[in-house]
Amino acid sequence: MKHRWLSAILGGTLLLSLLAGCGGPGTEFDGTNKSSGNSDTLKIYNWGEYTGEDLIDNFEEEYDCHVIMEYFDSNEMMYTKISAGDSYDVLIPSDYMIERLMKENYLQPLDKEIITNIDLLADDCRGLDYDPENTYSIPYFWGSVGIVYNKNTVSRDDLEREGWNILTDTKYAGRLYLYDSERDSFMMALKALGYSMNTDNEDEINAAYEWLCNVNDTMQPVYVTDEIIDNMINGIKDIGIVYSGDAAYILSENPDMGYYCPDQGTNIWSDAMVIPKNASNPELANLFINYVLTYDASMDNTETVGYTSSNADVMADAYGEGGIYEGNEAYIPRSGCEKDEVFRDNEVLRKKLSELWIKVKAK
Amino acid sequence: MKQFRSMAYPYVAWISVLIVIPMLLIIAYAFTVEGTAFFQGQFTLANFARFFSDAVFIQVLLRSLRVAILTTIVCLLLGYPAAYAIARAGKRSTFLILVITLPTWINMLVRTYAWVGILQDDGLLNHLLGLFGIGPLQMMYTDFAVVLGMVYNFLPFMILEIHTSLSKMDPSFLEAASDLGANRTQAFLRVTLPMSVPGIVSGITLVFLPAVSSFFIPKLLGGGQYVLIGNVIESQFLTSGNWSFGSALSLIMAIIIMLSMFLTRRLDRNRGIDV
Amino acid sequence: MKKKKFPLTRVILAAVIAFFYLPIVYTVVFSFNSSRSLTHFSGFSLRWYEKMFSSSTTMNAIWMTFVVAILATILSTIIGTITVIGLSKCSRPLRSAVGMINDLPIMNPDIVTAIGLLMFFATMEISKGFVTLLLAHVAFCTPYVMLSITPRLRTLDPNLADAALDLGANPWQALWHAIIPQLMPGIVSGALIAFTMSFDDFVISYFVTGNGVQNISILVYTMSKRINPSINAISTLVIVIITAVLILFNLIPMIRDRAMARRKKEETA
Repeated sequence: MKHRWLSAILGGTLLLSLLAGCGGPGTEFDGTNKSSGNSDTLKIYNWGEYTGEDLIDNFEEEYDCHVIMEYFDSNEMMYTKISAGDSYDVLIPSDYMIERLMKENYLQPLDKEIITNIDLLADDCRGLDYDPENTYSIPYFWGSVGIVYNKNTVSRDDLEREGWNILTDTKYAGRLYLYDSERDSFMMALKALGYSMNTDNEDEINAAYEWLCNVNDTMQPVYVTDEIIDNMINGIKDIGIVYSGDAAYILSENPDMGYYCPDQGTNIWSDAMVIPKNASNPELANLFINYVLTYDASMDNTETVGYTSSNADVMADAYGEGGIYEGNEAYIPRSGCEKDEVFRDNEVLRKKLSELWIKVKAK
Repeated sequence: MKQFRSMAYPYVAWISVLIVIPMLLIIAYAFTVEGTAFFQGQFTLANFARFFSDAVFIQVLLRSLRVAILTTIVCLLLGYPAAYAIARAGKRSTFLILVITLPTWINMLVRTYAWVGILQDDGLLNHLLGLFGIGPLQMMYTDFAVVLGMVYNFLPFMILEIHTSLSKMDPSFLEAASDLGANRTQAFLRVTLPMSVPGIVSGITLVFLPAVSSFFIPKLLGGGQYVLIGNVIESQFLTSGNWSFGSALSLIMAIIIMLSMFLTRRLDRNRGIDV
Repeated sequence: MKKKKFPLTRVILAAVIAFFYLPIVYTVVFSFNSSRSLTHFSGFSLRWYEKMFSSSTTMNAIWMTFVVAILATILSTIIGTITVIGLSKCSRPLRSAVGMINDLPIMNPDIVTAIGLLMFFATMEISKGFVTLLLAHVAFCTPYVMLSITPRLRTLDPNLADAALDLGANPWQALWHAIIPQLMPGIVSGALIAFTMSFDDFVISYFVTGNGVQNISILVYTMSKRINPSINAISTLVIVIITAVLILFNLIPMIRDRAMARRKKEETA
C-alpha cells in the first residue's frame, strides 16, 4: 500500500518535471527573451519592491523591449555579485557604494545626450558629494535619517534640546528602537558628539563607540530593521531611528507619530541609477534612466514605494495639496542644515565599524 | 558485493568539485589579509588572532552553542514521543509524516514573521493570555522567543529522522520482550530506545548543526542585540564585506562542531553495536 | 494494556501538530489583510492576491521554485541512495571522510557555502542561471538525503543482498528488490527534507543564480523594508497547490483500488 503510494508520488513528480522542462508560465529559464520579437533586453538590479506598479510595463511597451529585474537587500550583497562578474545594465545602489564602484572602476559614464531629463532633478539631490557632476549616477530616491517619536509621550522640547542625545536620556529607557545598521548607528553617535560621520580619526570613532555602548548599557534598546515600520505604526515603543521614506509612511498611518531631524546634522542618503562597465545594453540603460526621470514614471515610483522622488515637480506635488503625502513632515528632506552630510566611501571607517558594531551589540 | 562499491565513486568526485573546492576557497580566505583576494598571496593568521584575542567572539560562540544545545534538547524531548506516536499510528503514519512536513514548505521568513505577530507585546498570544487575566508578557526579544523559533523550524527534521528508525521496528520484538517478562518501560528501554539511536543521532545532527549557525531566527525573534555566531559570520560577508574574518570564523566554528559531532557519533557506534 | 486510549505520546503529537499549524493559520489569515502590516490585521481584502497574480515575476518565481525543488529532490534522492549503498561497501576511512565532508554544507552558515560556490562558478566562468541553481541545490540537498538513509542501512542485515544473490538474483535485482525496499522509509524522509531545503533556500540560491532566474525565497527576502502580505498570499497559494497535489495522489490509488475491487466483484458475479 505504502509503496504504491510512493511510486505515485515519484511518477507524478517526474511528470511534473517533464512539464517543467517544456516551460511554465513566462518560460524564462535562461533569461533570453523568446516572447517578443525585439531582442532588446534590459537587466536591472534593484532593491526589492522599489519600483512603481506600472513603470516596467510602460517602459517595455514604449521601447519595445523586455526587462529582467533582479533584487538585492543590501549594497554589500549587490557588490558581492557585481565583483563576481555578474553583468547588469542598470544598478540602483546607495551613495557610498556608488563611490566605491566608481573608485574600483566598475561604472561607465552616463550618456547625457540621451538623458536629457536630468534638468528635472530636484536641486538638493543634484551633484551630491560622491559624484559632483552626475557623471556616473542619477538619483532615484533620496531622503534623510531621523527620529520618529510618539508626540503624546515624548516631549518635543527634549528632542530639540538633546537631539541625538535623547537616546542617552534614561527617562526614555526601554522605549526605543535602534536601526540595526552599523553605518546609521555610528552616524548618530558621531553627530551627537559633533564629529563628521565620514571621519577617519580613530579617537573620534572610539568616542562614538563608547557613546553607543553607553546607549546599549543604560537604555535597553532593541535593534531592529524592517519591523520598525510596523512596530512604530502600532506604537509599541516611543522612539525609533527611521529612514525618512519609511517615516513618511509611519506618519501617514499613525497621526500620533512625529518626525524630527536633530540640528546636530544627519545623513542625507540617496539611491541612484548607474550603468556598469560590463552592461550589455548601455543605450537602453541610458534610455531607462531618462525614462525614470519623467514626471509620470517618478510619480508612479513615489506613489508605490513612498520614498522621496528625485524629480522636483513630483516631490512638490506629492507633498502639496491632494498629494499622497500632503503636508507630511517626513516626506521632504530638509535642506540648508550645514551639518548634514552624505556618506562617502571610506575604507578606514568601514573596517573600524564592522569591528566595533558587533561589540556594541554583543556585550 | 564489491560491485556496489563503485556506486559511491561518482559522488566522491561530485563533492570534491562542489563542496570541497568551494570550502578550500573559504579556507584560503581565512588565512588571507583582510580586503585582499586570496590569489594575491598575502597570508596571515591575524583573522584567527582577532577571534581569540577578543572575549566578545568567544562569548558569542558560547551563546550560540548554548542556544543550539537547548534547541536540540527540546526537539528531542518533543520529537521522540511524537515520532513514536506516528510510528504507532499504523496506516495513518504516512499521512501524519506529511502533516508534519507540510509547514516546512512555507517560507521560513514568512513563518518567522507569523511568530513575531503571535509573540509581540500586543500579539495574539498576549491577547489570549489577557482573557485569563495574565500578562501582557514580554516574549519578543528573549531567549524564549529564539528557542521557540528554532524548535519550530527544526523539530520536523528530528521527528522525521527518529520516525525513520522507529518505523522499521517489528512489533514482534516488543511482544517477544513482554513474553520474556519485560514490562512496558523495560521493553522500551531495552528494545525500542537502543534501536532508535541511529535515528536520534541523525536527528541531532540535523537540528544541532544548522541551529548553531542560524542567523535569521535570532535576528528577527531575538532582535539585533541577540548576536549569534551565524549573525556575525553573515554580517562579515553581507554588511562589512570582510570575507577573510568571516571565513576564519566559520572555520573555527566548523572545527569545534566537527569535534562535538565526532564525539556524538562515537556514542552512536558504542550504543549501536549492542542492539 | 488497552486502558489508556490516549497515551501521552499521542497528546504530545497533537500538541506538536497544533504548534506547527498555528503560524500557518496566522499566515493565511494575514494574506487577506487590507494594510501592509504582517502583524496587525486591519480588514479583509484581496489586494495582495491581485498583486501576486498580476505580477509575472512572482508567478515565474513560484513556478521556478517548484521546478527546482522537484528536480533537486529527485536527483539528490537518487544520488544519495546510490552513494549510501555504495559507501557501505567501501573502506571506513573513505566512509568517514565522505561523512565529514557531507556535514560541511549542513553545518556551515548558508552564506559560507554560497560564497564558496559563487567564487567557484566565477573562477570557472560558468554563466549563472537555472543550471547553476539546480547544481547547487543538488549539492546541498544530497547530504541531507544521505544522512537520513545511513541509519537505516546500518541496521540492515549485511547478508540481505548476499541472500538475494544466492537465490539467483543478479546484483541489480538484489539492489532493487531486496535493499531499496528496506531503505524506503529513510529514502522518503530524506526526499522530504531535501524538498524542504531546496524549497526554502534563500542565501545559496541568491548567489548562484542569475539572468532573471529567481525563486520565491529570493523575492521574499529581498522585499526588505517594503515587506507586505503578498508574501503571505504566495505562501497560501503554495499551501493550496501542495495540499491539492497530496490529495490527488491520495485519491488516485484509492479510486483505482475501488475500481479494481468492483471489477473483481463483477468477474466473480
